[in-house]
Amino acid sequence: MSTPPTPLQTGLAGRMPEWARPREDERHGLGSLRLAETTILILVGLFLAVATIADVVKQTHVNHRLVADMRTWRTVTGHNYRSLGTEQDVKGHTTRDTVCGNVSPGGPRERTQVCLVLVGPVVSSRREVSGGYYLPAKSEDRRRSRYACFGSALQAGLCGLRTPPAGAPPSPALPTGRR
Amino acid sequence: MQAGRVWLRALAGALAVVMLAATLEIVLDGAVGHSPLIPKSPHIAAWLDGVGERLGFRVFLIALLAYVGAYACMLLLARRVSARFAIALTIALQLIVFAGPILLSTDVFSYIAYARMGVVHGINPYIHGPIAIASDPVYHDVGKDWKLVATAYGPLYTLISYPLAWLGVTGALWGMKLMALLAGAGTLALTWRCARLRQLDPKLALLVVGVNPLWVIYGLGGAHNDLIMTLLMMGAVSLTLARREAYAGAAVIAAALVKATGIVLLPFMLLSTRRLAPLLGAVVAGLACALVAFLVFGIHGVDVVAALNRDAAFVSTDSFPTEIAHLLGKPGVFPVDHDLLKAGLVLIVVHLLWRTWRGYDWVAASGWTLLAISVTSTWLLAWYTLWSLPLAAVSRDRRLLVATLSVQALFILHQLSPLLAPVS
Repeated sequence: MSTPPTPLQTGLAGRMPEWARPREDERHGLGSLRLAETTILILVGLFLAVATIADVVKQTHVNHRLVADMRTWRTVTGHNYRSLGTEQDVKGHTTRDTVCGNVSPGGPRERTQVCLVLVGPVVSSRREVSGGYYLPAKSEDRRRSRYACFGSALQAGLCGLRTPPAGAPPSPALPTGRR
Repeated sequence: MQAGRVWLRALAGALAVVMLAATLEIVLDGAVGHSPLIPKSPHIAAWLDGVGERLGFRVFLIALLAYVGAYACMLLLARRVSARFAIALTIALQLIVFAGPILLSTDVFSYIAYARMGVVHGINPYIHGPIAIASDPVYHDVGKDWKLVATAYGPLYTLISYPLAWLGVTGALWGMKLMALLAGAGTLALTWRCARLRQLDPKLALLVVGVNPLWVIYGLGGAHNDLIMTLLMMGAVSLTLARREAYAGAAVIAAALVKATGIVLLPFMLLSTRRLAPLLGAVVAGLACALVAFLVFGIHGVDVVAALNRDAAFVSTDSFPTEIAHLLGKPGVFPVDHDLLKAGLVLIVVHLLWRTWRGYDWVAASGWTLLAISVTSTWLLAWYTLWSLPLAAVSRDRRLLVATLSVQALFILHQLSPLLAPVS
């Protein structure tokens, strides 16, 4: 069935081949095009859904790991503080995380902090401590601020300060390995 | 028959109660402050203190999921509820959020900072970031990622926001909230009107947009300027339907001068109407605004392309390209991926332009393009999924509505990991 010509099909538009002419309304019988579009949309939608679900599962695993990291920090340091800073290895994309928290009660980063480097799988809700270091109060976690490295942090040369800053509290090496 | 109607009415009432309760929970708990979901800000919702508890991820996500479930069911019942019910529910939800604190985003503090830069400090917000006013009271509330970034918003929006700078930070915050409320209400009124003119169910269109959880909680909750863009976009659609095409072209330009993505409507409108009037309206409005922007902000105020190029390089964890990169075992999005995404977007737009030339609904084509931009963008935020929503609500192609709501559902799904494995 053909649709009657519209005013647009006169002049320049009228000289165009039928398939290229502008139209006021869609031609009937576009079922196959619509079907192709719908199929592509469904496939794209499914792909996005799979990617989203996979990302949620991955993030859930990361969250489980971070919970184990914080639990390990509390066990090793003996401080049951809630405000702990966690940092993931976003450059190397390993499961190595760093958890930092105050060595004495106070607001986040208001006191000297002890940071633990945690590696390996979660076993019994804990992870293995491979090393660590200390940070002065109110400082960013940068190499130039770190001191008293121990374990893998010492071997990797993560500390920029050779001696603790003046007036810093004791900075003993904490036990490494699985706790 | 009568009993069935009573049951449906009762069910709709129960769904409305769930939506209202979820919104109240988020707002009252958010008013307490000290929450990772509530940006640090002047305590504007202090008068709601003492009712709620500190808003945590768990409560927020459960409330959001309850709201989403009720919203989905409400859309299925939309044809059975009365217009009065739909309007009352929409108004109640908007007012609850308006009365509360800023939710989930620090963007509004960037808006205020840019306005105060220009008005109070005489600094061009198109050249400098908020760091240039580090001594200003609003500076500490600006998101840390945005302190160095000059504004990417259009000059019309920046000019609209300037008068609020005189009100102080708290006054400006209420001004921004009021502007978002009014822009949202205007969008909803125009959505209703356009749906009626296109012989679609206006109640369904209103409920699709007005009680949408992302619209209410994220869009209005964060007082986002995207609502001003949607107002102007829907104004353009409404003016086209009323055959006032020159004004429609000007309205699209105004939308683009709030947020550049608004320009998307123009080529589809021109191809569909095939008249000079919208083009003339767009050109006149564009030249007038460019002149004003140039006089106030200099060349940086009209260089929208530079701002878009800068923002296109940002990457957020919620974006679909990032999720796909993770799925494929990559750590994130690489520059080559940006090029592939742009190529994909160009293909989609060319297909839609061709379809519009051949008679496809230009409103739907515009909506598909806005949806494609948000899906292919490496920087996806909740309120970007609102761009296509009002167009989808008044589109004749119902696939657009299903696709927009599906994208929103996936966005919400992606927020759920703190619920599945809380970190504490």
